[in-house]
Amino acid sequence: MATVKDHGGQSKAARAVSGGVLLMAGFVMLFFAWGYPTGTVNQMGAGFIPQVIAILICLFAIAIIVIDLRAPQWVDAGGMHWRGLTFVSAAIILFALLVDVAGLVPSMFLAVAVSMFADDQARPLLVLIYTVIATFLGWLLFLVGLELPIPAFWR
Amino acid sequence: MLDQFLLGLSVVLQPHVLIYAFFGVFLGQLIGVLPGVGAITAISLLLPVTFYLDATTSMILLAGIYYGSQYGGSIASILLNLPGTPSSVVTCLEGYPLAQSDRAGLALFVAAFSSFIGGMVGVAILVLAAIPMTVVALKFGAPEYAMLVILGLLAASMIGTGSQIRSFAMVLLGIALGLVGADATTGYYRFVAMPELADGISLVSLAMGLFGVSEVIRNASRRPAANAAPLIIKMRDVIPTRAQAKSLAFPIVRGSSIGSFFGALPGTGAAIASFMAYAMEKRFSKTPMKFGKGHLPGLAAPESANNAASQTGFIPTLTLGVPGDAVMALIIGALILNGIIPGPRLMVDQPELFWGVIASFFVGNIILLLINIPLIRLWVLLLRIPYQKLYPMIIIMICVGVYSHRTSVTDVLLTLAFGILGYLMKNYRFEPAPVLLGFVLGPLLEDNFRRTMLLYGGDFTIFVTRPISAVLVVCSALMIVWAVWSSLSHRRIPAPSSP
Repeated sequence: MATVKDHGGQSKAARAVSGGVLLMAGFVMLFFAWGYPTGTVNQMGAGFIPQVIAILICLFAIAIIVIDLRAPQWVDAGGMHWRGLTFVSAAIILFALLVDVAGLVPSMFLAVAVSMFADDQARPLLVLIYTVIATFLGWLLFLVGLELPIPAFWR
Repeated sequence: MLDQFLLGLSVVLQPHVLIYAFFGVFLGQLIGVLPGVGAITAISLLLPVTFYLDATTSMILLAGIYYGSQYGGSIASILLNLPGTPSSVVTCLEGYPLAQSDRAGLALFVAAFSSFIGGMVGVAILVLAAIPMTVVALKFGAPEYAMLVILGLLAASMIGTGSQIRSFAMVLLGIALGLVGADATTGYYRFVAMPELADGISLVSLAMGLFGVSEVIRNASRRPAANAAPLIIKMRDVIPTRAQAKSLAFPIVRGSSIGSFFGALPGTGAAIASFMAYAMEKRFSKTPMKFGKGHLPGLAAPESANNAASQTGFIPTLTLGVPGDAVMALIIGALILNGIIPGPRLMVDQPELFWGVIASFFVGNIILLLINIPLIRLWVLLLRIPYQKLYPMIIIMICVGVYSHRTSVTDVLLTLAFGILGYLMKNYRFEPAPVLLGFVLGPLLEDNFRRTMLLYGGDFTIFVTRPISAVLVVCSALMIVWAVWSSLSHRRIPAPSSP
């Protein structure tokens, strides 16, 4: 049987976090869906299904919390990939901010350059060379090959 | 039936269609070989491209990637012990020991050949089943559709990996994400937190985020621990001996049948089929101790099963418009984005598309057999490309693909949000595939459920008094009972998630 000390040093809060977040999402959804017209079973309004789904999400989230708290051992999720998370996010955000203003080529260039640092063994010179190649390939594919209607540079 | 199939062949053999069929299976094979890039990532990357193609060629292209990846997946499994696709995990068990004992050529040949037979059996069953299934499907009303979707969603979460409760919670999350935007019946805006969401969340954003971005985040710094693939494969001893070939006949037949069955079921796919085929082969073998050490039947059965399943998976997708797994959900999504409503009317209204796609599977499997072994040098070379050189290209394909879809910066940022969500979900043992399935099937469920209630005056007994619907209710109930029973007895087969 599961006892408290079998949880590999994980606190109760750490074990309940994923179910907890899901429960919160369910509550947020329920909060908004509550305001939508429910209608009747015969003639459902726009809010009926969202309310049902939100309640089901909450119920399942509670079940998951209970299961995770009672689990005999913690299945290690593996560490967080902070480096990947940071640089990939930065690359995509840069692309999103720049593509409307600066055009496709500069935003692709920066996105590739920044994303390459998600690799912990990235070397600046190699990154530069590879970024030039990748941007060229991207230009060839998207603007020459597929003729996407996105300006290449500042308009 | 033969007439229709020939009609399909005449569509596929047009040069401009054939080139896309070839391109699709080639890309699929390539994607399958590359570890870390799955069919689902590749298909979501190509979704924006299909807006520039007509519906038939885009279906042929995307489907080709899917079943092509089943062939490619076995190459990385055999040579590197790294499964390129979830459905080739079991291929490692027998394939890698064969490669280690210097029989990689034989293993690759057997894998390719059993894949081919499995694929062809799958196509044959698809051709045979298409018309009867459509006849049944045309009788489907709103209650049947609603129950079928429920059955599919249940099956997808009950039979996959990991906890069933977690998977089903993810299905619900997917349905919730699918609710965002204007309600289809009344036009009421739901969960529209910003004006850009009025049209709902884009399937492209969701798929690319959950499967593309999250994998890049996870693998950007990862270097394979395994040694590099051998560049030179001994090509002698590729063809199995007569005795070996004889020992493979029944495993291939069994594998193909198991695969065809599980592929056609909604919610189960190639990955589960390959596991079942391997387990079955081992259980009924006279020499179970040979398994795990490079036993050829243990390689042939799952390889034929996963390819058969990837073909019969199109039976529910094409005839009912109900996708069986996340990849099929994407393919259905592509059809809808092309303005075509999948369902039983598809065969009646668009026979060229319907039979053209099916005939393309026939042609595609032949192409795959022809490019598999002769081009083995190329595939081995691809295995040596480090992931670090690939992922920056994946990132810009994701960014540009999502952006060009609706010219929306918000969609790009949403993709990142879904990427981070998908990454965290996996860390906490939640599978992303059910989310996608729920997202695509959710609107279908809501629409048909509401229509049923409207048509039959809110009477729930309608689901059990209509015969087809009643069968589906019984199947769903059995599924739940089986899931509860198996989780209580802790004897679930550790199968990987659908791709």
